[in-house]
Amino acid sequence: MEKNILIVDDSESIRLVVSMGLKEAGYNVVAGINGADGLRLLNENKVDLIISDLNMPVMDGITFLKEVRKQDKFKFLPLLILTTESQESKKLEAKQAGATGWIIKPFVKDKLLAVVKKVLV
Amino acid sequence: MDELKATYIQEAQELLENLESSLLVLEDNPSDHSNIEQVFRVMHTLKGNSSMFGLSVIAEFVHDLETIYDKIRQSKMDLSKGILNCTLAALDHLKLIIFDSNLQDSGNKENHFRLISEIRLYADGGSETTPFQMNNAEVEDKITGTYFIHFEPNSDFLLNGSNPLLLINELAEMGPSFVVPHFKIVNDISEFDPCTCIASWDILVETDASLETIRDVFIFAEDDARIDIHKFLITGIIQNEAFLEKAKEANLKPEHLVLEEIIEIAASIPVEEKEEADQTEEVQLVTPVQKKINEKEKAISSIRVSSDKLDELMNLVSELVTTQASLSLFSENNTSTELEVISENIEKLSRRLRDISFGMTLIQINNMFARFQRLVRDMSDMLGKEVVFITEGGETELDKTIIETLTDPLMHIIRNSMDHGIEKAEVREQKGKPRQGMVKLKAYYSGISVFIQIIDDGKGIDVRKVREKAISKGFMREEDELTDKEIFDFIFYPGFSTAEVVTDVSGRGVGMDVVKRNITDLKGSISVESKPDAGTTLTIKLPLSLSIIDGLLVDIYGVKYVIPLSVVRKCYEVKNADMLKNFNKLLLLDDRQVPYINLRSEFEYEVTMEGNSQLIVVSDGDHEVGISVDHIVGEYQAVVKPISKYYRNQDFVSGATILGDGSIALVLDTHKIVELYTKHVKMEGKL
Repeated sequence: MEKNILIVDDSESIRLVVSMGLKEAGYNVVAGINGADGLRLLNENKVDLIISDLNMPVMDGITFLKEVRKQDKFKFLPLLILTTESQESKKLEAKQAGATGWIIKPFVKDKLLAVVKKVLV
Repeated sequence: MDELKATYIQEAQELLENLESSLLVLEDNPSDHSNIEQVFRVMHTLKGNSSMFGLSVIAEFVHDLETIYDKIRQSKMDLSKGILNCTLAALDHLKLIIFDSNLQDSGNKENHFRLISEIRLYADGGSETTPFQMNNAEVEDKITGTYFIHFEPNSDFLLNGSNPLLLINELAEMGPSFVVPHFKIVNDISEFDPCTCIASWDILVETDASLETIRDVFIFAEDDARIDIHKFLITGIIQNEAFLEKAKEANLKPEHLVLEEIIEIAASIPVEEKEEADQTEEVQLVTPVQKKINEKEKAISSIRVSSDKLDELMNLVSELVTTQASLSLFSENNTSTELEVISENIEKLSRRLRDISFGMTLIQINNMFARFQRLVRDMSDMLGKEVVFITEGGETELDKTIIETLTDPLMHIIRNSMDHGIEKAEVREQKGKPRQGMVKLKAYYSGISVFIQIIDDGKGIDVRKVREKAISKGFMREEDELTDKEIFDFIFYPGFSTAEVVTDVSGRGVGMDVVKRNITDLKGSISVESKPDAGTTLTIKLPLSLSIIDGLLVDIYGVKYVIPLSVVRKCYEVKNADMLKNFNKLLLLDDRQVPYINLRSEFEYEVTMEGNSQLIVVSDGDHEVGISVDHIVGEYQAVVKPISKYYRNQDFVSGATILGDGSIALVLDTHKIVELYTKHVKMEGKL
């Protein structure tokens, strides 16, 4: 069965690169431009995995993922954080808020797919 | 890939523009924290995007810049004027190198390294910096051995979407493996919570993967689980009978395999040396850092739509409004209340639809003004003049394409004002003017046009010089007597330039003739006014791109006209006799004298002393003028259509609209009517 992945990033370039990589690998992709948009899309689509940026206007990644985890039905939904910050503090903060894992920018397509495979059944 | 690159460039340009306006705000208010955050965020996004596209030159450059602002936002450093200047220079450089990411242009290259060293100087000011790394390649040792991994997730492991089985599968893919699962004992079914992880595992895997790779498997889990990894440099443990025996015993039990016992078994295996690398992973707990949420961050959510689609939408909306007018008329002539309700609702909806769809192509002129702020700042530094830049009416909206085309002409005009208009501070003081010169950009609506004025309080344009030049160029004859305004118009002639010395700043070939051509292309007009030592004002008039306007439908001698509602101030009823017997064309309205124009007589219709007329007071720049009509029909949404060439010279008519009954009403430009009338009166006075 095809898997649906939700990407949330305010940068159009990143959304494009990530979704192209994932689509080539056979995933379905929906993309949101910030946390609030992500929440809306999450409730409108069947989503198997979320990939979200941290630094975003309107609703940032941490708030977004806390909001996602607040809802019972998304308690076990894999959620990856997309970030350039490789600093430990950011990762930990995201983990505390309920992130499953992270992808560090810059990444190549293979790396992205490997990480996705790691969390997506 | 081209599409990707185009997206990258477009986004980078937007980001840089964003950055520029934030930086300029910071210049006036260096401690504005929300703007520092904004600057940092934009740089961060730009760095991320650039590195994603493999543009390491740009990514590295932005990384260094970002380091400075990271320190500033953590209050490890202060934002100095030097940093700001350096950042702005870097910004200009970035605008160029997003198109030249390999630094093929030698100028760019030279600039690049000069800026980098300057930036690093600032960046190192606080504390040590971390160099930017594109790839952290790792060297793997290719020795096949056996990893013994103890993996015990915390009870809340499942709650962040992690799936431990995926990790075990990943390990199993690395080579021959043996997995021993364990479960904690749950005494009573009522204590059983499916959200709690009670499983743990002992995994043995034979692989040549490095310890780093094994750790990478658990990269997301290391904070939420106990993970001990032990490496034996031998293989064969998982086939060993003693081991299989132990594993069977421990299977599904809460107790784990004991490392020492495995070591013992490993020792009994008679192969090669059994050196072991003691690599036990320790789990650290770090307190979460409280994240500050920047609420002031602006929403920049937008999508791109092709302009063709927008144009089509506008056309459809125009058609809809026209059709709706027919419906309104039809419902008025019918006595059905139900129909009336429907018709009114449709009118309301179409009005909103119109506002929204037309608003889509409009952007506030503010966006453009911000760019000039920077220009004025840089130029005043360069010219050694003190100039303050004032903008007014930045909320005025214009079509995006018009704004784009206007940027260059305006830039040129402002350059001229700064270079030739505004005097040096000392000269200004001698003249008794404030040291600081002023350049003002002002935008406002008038009728169905938008006016943009560039006003400076400099030395003004010398009429005599312009006249002399015009004569020498053969634009006019010595004996011609022209008004100052007419003489100033020569400035816009091709090949005309009054500046004695062509400076670095202005006067580089692009003359005012090009400015005028650009504006004429936009169906606009430009005029200039100037007084010696008081300054110069350039006025640009542009057509409002809106083709549907709210108007007042009026009737003069049975013919319908539309007056744009945006200029209408108030309506009065006046006696015809009062207007006709009036000798100075002024009426006393609300205790004020208001000049008026009797359209009935201006349009050469028959006039009568009896009865009343409606007087519509409209604003005309700073003045108010009354315009009389027979009667007012009501408010009307007019789809303004261009009129045929026979009317081209009648510029008091700005267009025509189709009424609900299919007849046509002309849209009047009251500003032009007043202008024409004034000319007319002056001529009469002369005769």
